[in-house]
Amino acid sequence: MKPKVFAAFVGPSIFMMLLFIAFPLLSVFWNSFNVTQPIYETVEVESCTAGFLEQTCTTEMETRPVLNEDGEIMRQTEFVGLQTYRNVLEMDRFWEAVSSGSWTGLQNIDFWAALRFTVMFTLITLPLVVGFGIGIAMVINNASQFIRGPVIFISLLPFIITPVIGALSINWLFRGDGILTALLEWWLEQDLALFAQAWTIELLMMVYRVWHVAPFAAIIFYAGLQTVNQDSLESAVIDGASRWQRLRLIIIPHLAPLIIFVAMIHLMDAYRVFEEVVGFRAEGHVISLQWLTYDFLKPDQAGNRSISRASASAMLTMIGIAILLVPLLKRTWRDHKGTH
Amino acid sequence: MKLKTILMAGALSVAGSVAAAECAFENTTELRSLTAGFEAWKAVTDAMAECGNFEANLDQEFREKQPEAFAAEPSLYHIGGVSNSTMIPLLNAGTIRPLNDLVEKHGQHLKPNQLITVDGDIMAVAMMVNNQHLMYRTDIFEELDLEAPTTYDEYLEAAAVIEEADVVQYPLGGTFKSGWNLGEEFVNMFLAHGGTFVDDNNMPTINNEKGLASLEQLKATTEYLDPEYLASDSTYVQQQFQQGQIAMANLWASRAGAMNDPEESQVVGKVTMASAPMGPEAPVSSIWWDGIVIAANITDEEAEAAFRVAMEGMDTEMVQANPEAAVWLVDGYEPGEIAAGAAATAANGARPYPASSAMGIMHSVLGNGIAAYLNGDKDAETTLADIEAAYMTSAKEAGLID
Amino acid sequence: MTAKALRQPASLKIVSGTFLAVWCVIAAFPIFWITVMSFKSPVDAFDANPFNVIFGPATRAGGSGWSILEIVLALAVVWLTARITMRRVPALVAQYSPGGFVALGWVVASALIGVGFVLAFFGLLPLVSDFLNPLVGPLGRDIIGATTEHYETVWIDRGFSNNFKNSLIVTAGVVTISLSVGTLAGYGIARSGSTLAFWILIVALIFRALPHSVLVAGYLPVFINSAEWLSPILGENAPTLYGKPAAVIAVLVAINQPFTIWMLRSFFANIPADLDEAARVDGCSHFKAFRLVIMPVMWPGVITTGLFSFLLAYNDFLVTSLLLDASNQTMVPAIAGMFNRETTTTDQVVAVAAAVSITAPLFLLVMVFQRQIVSGLTAGAVKG
Repeated sequence: MKPKVFAAFVGPSIFMMLLFIAFPLLSVFWNSFNVTQPIYETVEVESCTAGFLEQTCTTEMETRPVLNEDGEIMRQTEFVGLQTYRNVLEMDRFWEAVSSGSWTGLQNIDFWAALRFTVMFTLITLPLVVGFGIGIAMVINNASQFIRGPVIFISLLPFIITPVIGALSINWLFRGDGILTALLEWWLEQDLALFAQAWTIELLMMVYRVWHVAPFAAIIFYAGLQTVNQDSLESAVIDGASRWQRLRLIIIPHLAPLIIFVAMIHLMDAYRVFEEVVGFRAEGHVISLQWLTYDFLKPDQAGNRSISRASASAMLTMIGIAILLVPLLKRTWRDHKGTH
Repeated sequence: MKLKTILMAGALSVAGSVAAAECAFENTTELRSLTAGFEAWKAVTDAMAECGNFEANLDQEFREKQPEAFAAEPSLYHIGGVSNSTMIPLLNAGTIRPLNDLVEKHGQHLKPNQLITVDGDIMAVAMMVNNQHLMYRTDIFEELDLEAPTTYDEYLEAAAVIEEADVVQYPLGGTFKSGWNLGEEFVNMFLAHGGTFVDDNNMPTINNEKGLASLEQLKATTEYLDPEYLASDSTYVQQQFQQGQIAMANLWASRAGAMNDPEESQVVGKVTMASAPMGPEAPVSSIWWDGIVIAANITDEEAEAAFRVAMEGMDTEMVQANPEAAVWLVDGYEPGEIAAGAAATAANGARPYPASSAMGIMHSVLGNGIAAYLNGDKDAETTLADIEAAYMTSAKEAGLID
Repeated sequence: MTAKALRQPASLKIVSGTFLAVWCVIAAFPIFWITVMSFKSPVDAFDANPFNVIFGPATRAGGSGWSILEIVLALAVVWLTARITMRRVPALVAQYSPGGFVALGWVVASALIGVGFVLAFFGLLPLVSDFLNPLVGPLGRDIIGATTEHYETVWIDRGFSNNFKNSLIVTAGVVTISLSVGTLAGYGIARSGSTLAFWILIVALIFRALPHSVLVAGYLPVFINSAEWLSPILGENAPTLYGKPAAVIAVLVAINQPFTIWMLRSFFANIPADLDEAARVDGCSHFKAFRLVIMPVMWPGVITTGLFSFLLAYNDFLVTSLLLDASNQTMVPAIAGMFNRETTTTDQVVAVAAAVSITAPLFLLVMVFQRQIVSGLTAGAVKG
């Protein structure tokens, strides 16, 4: 394919990605090394605020931004190098905790606590999603033709449900005396408060994520199972291979590219875990990297937001994903070279 | 839902929009508003819509959108709904206009208490106030022969008695959801101890005895709360109350009405409203107001129309139609039993929420930082020191301190 | 195939069957439960006793409920809809859609099924049961408390149909544009063996890994002030992009491109290159070869990819809540708003009803397209 033709084919797509992803990405990168802030002045202000029956008037020193002649806030931008990254990583406290060997000390630093949870969440859910995905795909494949349609339909439900709604419904089922907590309490014969300590919340978040993503894995693996070479299966049977050997030697290798695909998608999505933290109201116990970014970015009531730290933490999140993806990317590169 | 009702309701809604009802004048200027989405705003914007040519946006993300949208040329909205703290960014950026002329022309009926002034300029018109006050189950208190607590220590003692008697699931409810809610609990407690959050140079002043005492009181409270307190917001506490799971709470006045809603409450008529329990210096509460502002980047004609429409939304008629929706400041509001708690709290000297740019940052870092202490991950001194450190980082990035 | 050799022992069959049954219960339970909650009065919906939630004594005491007859009729309507959708519709669509417009045929069919179901369930059913209930004695008496008032509140009082319309606009826009742009790019990358193509793919993948909240926050000021900075180019008519569905569509298409390209690239890679090369030898240009040879065979993959685009656009919260006005909001942020602002318990049940309403079209979609998803995936859309 000539470069010109190639450009015509991919042009529109590249253009949209450049405009809406690459360009904002550049500004994120730039913001992570610079700090933009209004110029403030301190003035004495008399202000009156509403009370129940009477006003309260006070005269106080107040800090407010200086406006220029157009009536806009004057801002200054300063290059701060890696300072913002240092603020996010809090390296001095990090080294202090490491040198004193204090795990709790380390977990009291927001970034490292978030990193710990995010990595753990990603690495624990990954094998579970793949495992359950293969399991569900195989039992669906094993079911009689008659019920396969409805079963696939039901299996897909957790995947298609709107994530915001899904997290909320889990909330109703488990919060306080939610129906499933009541069931567990009855079964274990003891009082449970699943949202009262970190580990149960983490467990619930992982269960939710596996519930939500396993159907996606399953449907892809199910599609893969439809194309398993029946001849090699048959010859394996003739050679006396056991069921387990057939699974290990023929089916799994056949699904390998799909497993890589699912793993790649899941790694990226799980590393950005965010909805669960909000939906499960876990902020008081555990936070994730993307939640940290979001929290920096969210304006407080007075309108302040930490754009620089949000940008730095977003860059760090991206670096983390890139590291996790390296092994998978290497394989894609080999495949790419292999086919052409 | 029957098809007939759908069709009829459709027909009705069409008919309803044609007849612009009960507005003193007919508005011919296209107007838009951006406000928060709670019940009181719904009542007010519905009343504004009666004047015609008005589009209300009740938006959950208003806090994020308002500063940007009001700074546009021309402003995307004419009327904004703010509270004492969300007015700060608009005020700072100069994107809302002084209302002195308009109040003189169209707002003679407003009470002086409603006029929010900064250096003599009226910048906003308040419509309601809100604070936290005590709500308790009269039946339980009678059964156990308890007196309504007036101080926070008595509040905790009463909780201990209720816990002992084992008559409800949890003696207390509290809006301890990590983040803004938890921050607000600390703010109330710290105000009750007579503390100030930042000094004139925006340096933090919470790491002291008052701060420590406040933290300890909060921790003492958690003993009597649902163990899932770090996830419980005001709606959750309200539901616990309604389902008879808790006996007492120091809760938002705007939630009081729900206790007597027969549709959803199992404790109708059993909840009494009283003043927020006293701390060493003031009630454990803070006074907030909500009201309207008018954008600066619009024409004077639009501003006048917007102000007139807003006044129609905040009139006596609206208040009389929605007496339960809030503790109104508007003329014609008759505080009933439900508002007794809010009034008593104010009479006992509750302090206004000390809104400012620095306080915005302080509130966020408090909300994020206190959970570690309540969980037992940090001791009180470390918690306050860490919160101050987090405040310094944020305030430096925001440019408030050098 | 030697069926005998591959036959499974009974024990394995039982294990596999049980696993499947348990999984189906786990998969469907939360959705089933919120559906039940949405039909109850607030007191019942949040009751700690599961039987009270199911049977709804307070709701029944409030005077609304369903009799056995009504339940049987309702189940029959649901079952019929499912059956018609899965069995008849594919054939009908294939028969009546003009060549090349199969996708459009599916859209029309789904809309018709949806409307038909609402008419039958909410229109015809109450009429029939009102007529029959007095005639069948005990079977006609209410046994389960249930009320549709929350759905009435959502759709009529709260104007949820407006949100529904906005969701339709955004979703339709995203799916159409995303697929047209993505199909071309996917094909280009699959047929070009250059290193550049590989790097485009990798960069797209890294773009996909970006936390969305960071990107989206950057759009807000730019979109709000677009009238200002676009005016040198467009003059007086420069639009304010903030609040326009078109702007949201563009953003969502871009965010969705990486995944779309990946899916479609591997799908096209599995269509033998000989096909279009043969056409090229006959003197066709790349575009003509694409149109004549590839387009007729690409639908399974495109439909599957389109479904993923649909899910992304339909379920998106971050972009739509920030870049749309409350007056042209889509359904997801509207529901989140119902939950998060100061609410009463009744509001919460109303929001549950809204949550169920938003899931219903997804149900329908998967029911209709289920076979296409599997066949599309099988045909290679995910060969990695």
